[in-house]
Amino acid sequence: MNERARMSSISILPIVSSVLAIVMAFVIGGIFLEANGKDALHAYRILFERGLVNGDGLTETFKKMAPMLIVSAGLLIALRASVWNIGIDGQFMVGALLAGVAGAAVAGSVPNPLMWLIAAVAGIIGGMLWAVIPALLMVKFNLNEIITTLMMNYVAVNVCAWLVKGPFRDSSVVAPQTKQIPLADRLPFIPGTEVHIGLIVGLLCVVVVAILFRSTVYGFCLDVVGRNRKAAIHAGLPVGRLAGSALILCGAFAGLAGANDVLGIQGLFKANWDPGYGFTAFALVYLARLNSLLLIPFAFFFSFLLVGGDSMPRRADVPTYFVGMLEGLMLICFAVAVYLERRWHAISERIRGRPDDRIEPESSSGPSALEGLEISS
Amino acid sequence: MGHEIASPPAPLPVGRGEIERLTCLGDSRPHCHSERSEESLRGDEVTGMRERKEKHVSTNLGEVLHCEPLVSTWGTSVGTTDDMTDGTATTQERAMVQPIVSMREIDKRFGPVRANDKVSLTLYPGEIHAVLGENGAGKTTLMNILSGMYQPDGGTIELDGKPITIGSPSEALAHGIGTVYQHFTLVPNLSVIENVVLGTKTGFVLNLSKGEQRLKEVLTEFELNTDPNVEVRHLSIGQRQRVEIIKVLMRGTRVLLLDEPTSVLTPTEVEGLFRILRRLREEGVSVVIITHKLEEALDVSDRVTILRGGKNVGELGPDDIASAGRAGARQRIVETMFGGMPAAAETFQQHVATGKTLLELSGVSAIGDRGEIAIRELSIQLRAGEIYGIAGVDGNGQKELGEIIAGQRKTTTGRLALDGTDYTNAGVATLSRAGVGYITDDRLGEGVVPGMSVAQNAALKTINRSPFSKGFWLDRKAIEANANTLIEQFSVRTPSAQTKITLLSGGNIQKLMLARELAMDPRVIVCNKPTYGLDLKTAQFVLQTLRQEADSGKAVLLISSELDEILEISDRIGVIYNGEIVETFERAQVDIETVGRLMLSGRAAVAGSAA
Ligand SMILES: Nc1ncnc2c1ncn2[C@@H]1O[C@H](COP(=O)(O)OP(=O)(O)OP(=O)(O)O)[C@@H](O)[C@H]1O
Ligand SMILES: [Mg+2]
Repeated sequence: MNERARMSSISILPIVSSVLAIVMAFVIGGIFLEANGKDALHAYRILFERGLVNGDGLTETFKKMAPMLIVSAGLLIALRASVWNIGIDGQFMVGALLAGVAGAAVAGSVPNPLMWLIAAVAGIIGGMLWAVIPALLMVKFNLNEIITTLMMNYVAVNVCAWLVKGPFRDSSVVAPQTKQIPLADRLPFIPGTEVHIGLIVGLLCVVVVAILFRSTVYGFCLDVVGRNRKAAIHAGLPVGRLAGSALILCGAFAGLAGANDVLGIQGLFKANWDPGYGFTAFALVYLARLNSLLLIPFAFFFSFLLVGGDSMPRRADVPTYFVGMLEGLMLICFAVAVYLERRWHAISERIRGRPDDRIEPESSSGPSALEGLEISS
Repeated sequence: MGHEIASPPAPLPVGRGEIERLTCLGDSRPHCHSERSEESLRGDEVTGMRERKEKHVSTNLGEVLHCEPLVSTWGTSVGTTDDMTDGTATTQERAMVQPIVSMREIDKRFGPVRANDKVSLTLYPGEIHAVLGENGAGKTTLMNILSGMYQPDGGTIELDGKPITIGSPSEALAHGIGTVYQHFTLVPNLSVIENVVLGTKTGFVLNLSKGEQRLKEVLTEFELNTDPNVEVRHLSIGQRQRVEIIKVLMRGTRVLLLDEPTSVLTPTEVEGLFRILRRLREEGVSVVIITHKLEEALDVSDRVTILRGGKNVGELGPDDIASAGRAGARQRIVETMFGGMPAAAETFQQHVATGKTLLELSGVSAIGDRGEIAIRELSIQLRAGEIYGIAGVDGNGQKELGEIIAGQRKTTTGRLALDGTDYTNAGVATLSRAGVGYITDDRLGEGVVPGMSVAQNAALKTINRSPFSKGFWLDRKAIEANANTLIEQFSVRTPSAQTKITLLSGGNIQKLMLARELAMDPRVIVCNKPTYGLDLKTAQFVLQTLRQEADSGKAVLLISSELDEILEISDRIGVIYNGEIVETFERAQVDIETVGRLMLSGRAAVAGSAA
């Protein structure tokens, strides 16, 4: 038997590795800044102050958290089934566009909650639409979803740009964008805060996904497909349908996130509006080690990074994409941490001698991100 | 020691020199550089131009590969070595011989499980040491400790009399302890030579072409007649295992650990493996072999250590084996292993089944994984109440046959009918609902989901049926209860139903798979190597269970590469060769010789002579 497989049980260590990976990324990023003549400590202070300390920044962080939560909840479904949806950005965009068009079309003529619902459904449909094509290609023709979803991103950018310059354009303004949903009709704030209720939707999404994997047959089957496809075939599970549906669901969540941003913040869809949540979501879901409830703290962390990063150019003379670099570094450090973790098993065993007593962060069905990484290679 | 009796006193057998060089690779103790290797080095320098950096590479390669073939010693020493007599001589001398490895009072706990409880194991140079014990006795754990995979909770390990700690598999290798895992570590897309050289501490520059010719010779010595440049994925399992052994030996192995190496081999391959092991013994290597097949253990080993419930319960040295005689030794081992004699293996009542035909394949063909035609126009009928044994050498289509019946593999021609209804290419889910159970031989590859619990794996195949699911929702209680029932029925050894499946011992995983399949109450049971990795008692239990299932009106298709097993419980036997059933026999009419020939050549008569 594969004795190494015995070693890769989930433990409390994964969170430690994730946190260490983040710290290391900051250290390396800091060295990089220093090497470029910037004051790293100053830059980081700005980053943290902006994202965490200022009341205003905290509000921004919580607002950002909504799409982060929704998108990563969806990505978690796909990755647990070992489906690599690189096309989140495209799905998000199409969802946002449809939500903007539908929302603006009915705004004022129906009660707001109904308008939000219509826009959300339009967003979900948009995201799913963009995921259905790669899903079909994957299931019917066995085409690699990494490539097809990636390609669909480019298609989305151009199709959305064309639509928003043509058929869906709000002719009353110069810029190519959809008709604006009036400020009064946007999503309301959570009482006592200035954060719109999208955050609650995001948290709900995570809870739904957690329940999905904890207690439903569907979630169980996705886990089987993700962990051992051959076993899934052997057990008679409809592997293609499961994997395809995971991709489409992931698209639906991305579309919902698009609707959320339109209804909560933007009020409209602009050409070339691409917040690029997809990559961040990958980093987020991996650092959360494919564990649904861990998505919440990590979503908070990444949101504050994005918000703080936005203020770095002005106040610390560090470009925004430094945060993207940090995310990349985190993924790399994370891969290293996972490797070290394997070595650690041997050492910790020597100390404690009881590898079976490790704390498992979630239901026993959650694959460790380690396995996820192995799937990628 | 043994080999000194067997091999001529002078001149020094060529082979020993080679293995010395084989075994000293990876450490650079000066005494390893025998004269011959120096010579071959100089020879190399004349024939080839090398830079300093490369020199180190080729030195090592040269040491291993630039040596004379071993055939001379090989043949004689093996031929003249009788295990028993050899053994006696060995013990007398052994009093003076220092053990290579002694493990003392090794403890290893996994949560509540004491996998090793003060286990001791002493290995001498030049012996083959069998570690025996029932499923879950702690054999693999002990080997994992010696190979650095696990750290012991207590006890000491001494190497050449000096205490050592083995922190990782690579440290073990550095100490000369090499392991051949059942799941090989070769890279399928690299050639044999690349695999062998990969990971040796030879620097970055490889000089493959120089070593190639010599590796070819080493391969021949190991009865591997393949081109060193062929990719490993094209080799058979037995061949891969040998490459694995060579690879491990190249890293300077003086202690070779083999965990159930024979369960994946055909009988001929087993013989070949044993020839190699005996030869390594002659060279002073200490070999540890875990097996569930007592006959094999008695055939090949000088010394036997028996574990039960994680404890040492017995050791038989060469004189014990010699004085008890083979049958006596066997009995003693079985008694010690199971703590008393298991109920005498019952002989199964075979009968000609007259029930209705439950499964019918007619003219079925299918393509194998590598695009070859795996099954050719094959037809069989299985009646209710019978066990139909498929005998054949692995790789003749039996796996594909099982997969077709299970619905896992599409057929290109022909028809599959269950109880008269057409189910051709109906798919796994449909066939399983229609009453086909399939026990795969690839238990870790497709049988179970690593990382999921015992309970989840036990429910895997029927997860979307009652009682495990209530519509959309899982019923965790039912899943757990079901697992506990199966654990009870098949006495699966596991701390709990929530334990990860991969933490169970090999045999216990197999038991759980069998239990899961039979719990689905299939009408047609297809099993591929159902006793693979099971201890004697459990294997017997499984065969009994299959017989009972058949007697209760089910149809069983038993695929196995072990003819004994097939002969033991089948009512009818079909020999599969190259994707075809070449002959079928009623049990009473079986002639073992003929079956053997059919398995090997597809023909009953030796070519040229009239049958
Ligand atoms: N990493 C682990 N974590 C928890 N339990 C383990 C682990 N490894 C082994 N065990 C337990 O220790 C016991 C001994 O297992 P081991 O694999 O050594 O048995 P074995 O003698 O090799 O059995 P088999 O013949 O079935 O292969 C078993 O009960 C097994 O469940
Ligand atoms: Mg074992």
